[in-house]
Amino acid sequence: MGIFKKIIHSRLFITWCITLVVIVIGLSLTLLLISHSKRTIVQDAPPKLPDTANPTESLPIPQQINLFLLETTGTELIPKRVELRLFLETTERLNQVVTALIKETPPNFRNPIPRGTVLNHVYIDNQKVAYLDFSHHLASGQIGGTTAEFLTVTAILKTVFDAFSDDVLHVQLLIEGKEQETLSGHINISQPLRF
Amino acid sequence: MWVRLHNSLVLFLYILIFFITHGLAQATTVRFVDGHGKTLADVDVKLHEDIVYIPIDSLKSVFDSNLTQEYHRPRGKLTIRMKDSEIGLRMRNSSVTINSGKESITLSHPPRVIQGQPMLPISFYTELLPKLFDVEVKYNAHLQRVRIMSKTAWELPVVDSEQELSIIIDPGHGGEEDVGCQSQNGLIEKDLVLAISKEIQKIGNQNGLSILLTRSEDVPTKRLQRVNFSNQNRGQLFLSIHCNASYSATHKGIRIYLNNPYGLLRFRQRPITLIGRESLNILKQDDFLKLSKDFAFILEKEMNFLVEDPIEILEMPLISISDIYMPAVQIELGYLSNIDDVTRLSQPEHLTELSMAIVRSMQIYTATHKKSTESNGIPSEESIDSD
Repeated sequence: MGIFKKIIHSRLFITWCITLVVIVIGLSLTLLLISHSKRTIVQDAPPKLPDTANPTESLPIPQQINLFLLETTGTELIPKRVELRLFLETTERLNQVVTALIKETPPNFRNPIPRGTVLNHVYIDNQKVAYLDFSHHLASGQIGGTTAEFLTVTAILKTVFDAFSDDVLHVQLLIEGKEQETLSGHINISQPLRF
Repeated sequence: MWVRLHNSLVLFLYILIFFITHGLAQATTVRFVDGHGKTLADVDVKLHEDIVYIPIDSLKSVFDSNLTQEYHRPRGKLTIRMKDSEIGLRMRNSSVTINSGKESITLSHPPRVIQGQPMLPISFYTELLPKLFDVEVKYNAHLQRVRIMSKTAWELPVVDSEQELSIIIDPGHGGEEDVGCQSQNGLIEKDLVLAISKEIQKIGNQNGLSILLTRSEDVPTKRLQRVNFSNQNRGQLFLSIHCNASYSATHKGIRIYLNNPYGLLRFRQRPITLIGRESLNILKQDDFLKLSKDFAFILEKEMNFLVEDPIEILEMPLISISDIYMPAVQIELGYLSNIDDVTRLSQPEHLTELSMAIVRSMQIYTATHKKSTESNGIPSEESIDSD
């Protein structure tokens, strides 16, 4: 008994016990993670294949589009070529192109569209006027100044006219579904615009 | 002994290096321009104790090509003959004799011999030339620019009090919600434009102009309030004052904007106005475009002396002046997103210079345009609408 007590109270025994507990906990956690990851994989649905019967849902070959952005050291909007997989339907394509303009800010470029701006809706009427309905951020995110406002408006117009020269003649900017006089008090955007 | 010699040599070298790097007179270039801002000459000048000294020969290229000069080196006596006047100067002496002592003038700084060449101080141009000849000379030390223009053009015809034009100054933005743009160091557009508008009103009223402000305090002012105030006060000229901002930090300088629905951006059709002027066939804002342009060109000419970069005049559909039924211009005094412009607009002396140039532009406009709402420059419908 004395020898047994000695072994129990020895440092070496305690160290071995702790090591054993740590190994057991580690093994349990590893097994738990493996089983969980297996479950996730099993739960994942197989990727949905595009419906080839509907042309608007098919994604044709990538196309080169010019997005008009500001170089960090420059003062003029310049075309930045990007590759987009565009839908066939014009309104869908317009939505994709303007959304790309809002989101894309390549290195060494500045985007003149205020952060947080979302394109809510697009519509092209029979007189080739494209109605672009943006979230309020396009106006509320302006930094003030006629030049900043002019850069925002012309970046949108240049990008749209460059990509849709045959389909769009004028662009009417809307904020949250409504016509506005201006974005930040300088340029009149109450009418459809062109260059 | 060697230590002393060594120390003396080091001291001598230090002195030598100081004179080589700093020099007794530093060289720089000053641009001479005429009243239209056109460059007459770029002249290499010397700086002596921060005073600009100009070679005598440059007078030939910027003022009188038939000028003759005699310099008596031992006595330091210089005689300049130009435009039927004889000017006698002595080196290191501020007194100037004119036409063999008939008149004398004391300059702020004396002429000097610098690097073996007799040179004239800038005060010879700014103080002496306007007294002797029909010229107005201004020196902009910040831009190193000297403007020489005819005094006759500077003097304005007296405006009949019955023909006095009422001018509306519109300080942009206002109130807590509409502060305009802001600089990183805290310069706020609404405050800056209000301060300069008040200064323009003060200087303008002192000079016989009748100037009204659309807002005199930091209060929210709606567009319709500004429009009604201007139209009800029968203004004959409208100037909206703003500061600019850009997503590019390199944009800088003054911009002048005109309301033209068929400018850089084009409307599909003529805009419908606030009170249905379209249907009543009454003049619309852009019908005053010709007169607005006249004022814009005067402003551009008067202000280009104050800033480094050329002033652009841009035309586009502007909401800020779209229902103002009189010649109207929007001026953006500088970019609060550009460090150079922020520094420029933070200097009270520069703001006073800008205010004076704007008042001067208004004086020229009122002196050359009669009080009338009939625009002599109304463009025809055909010339406007080329859709």
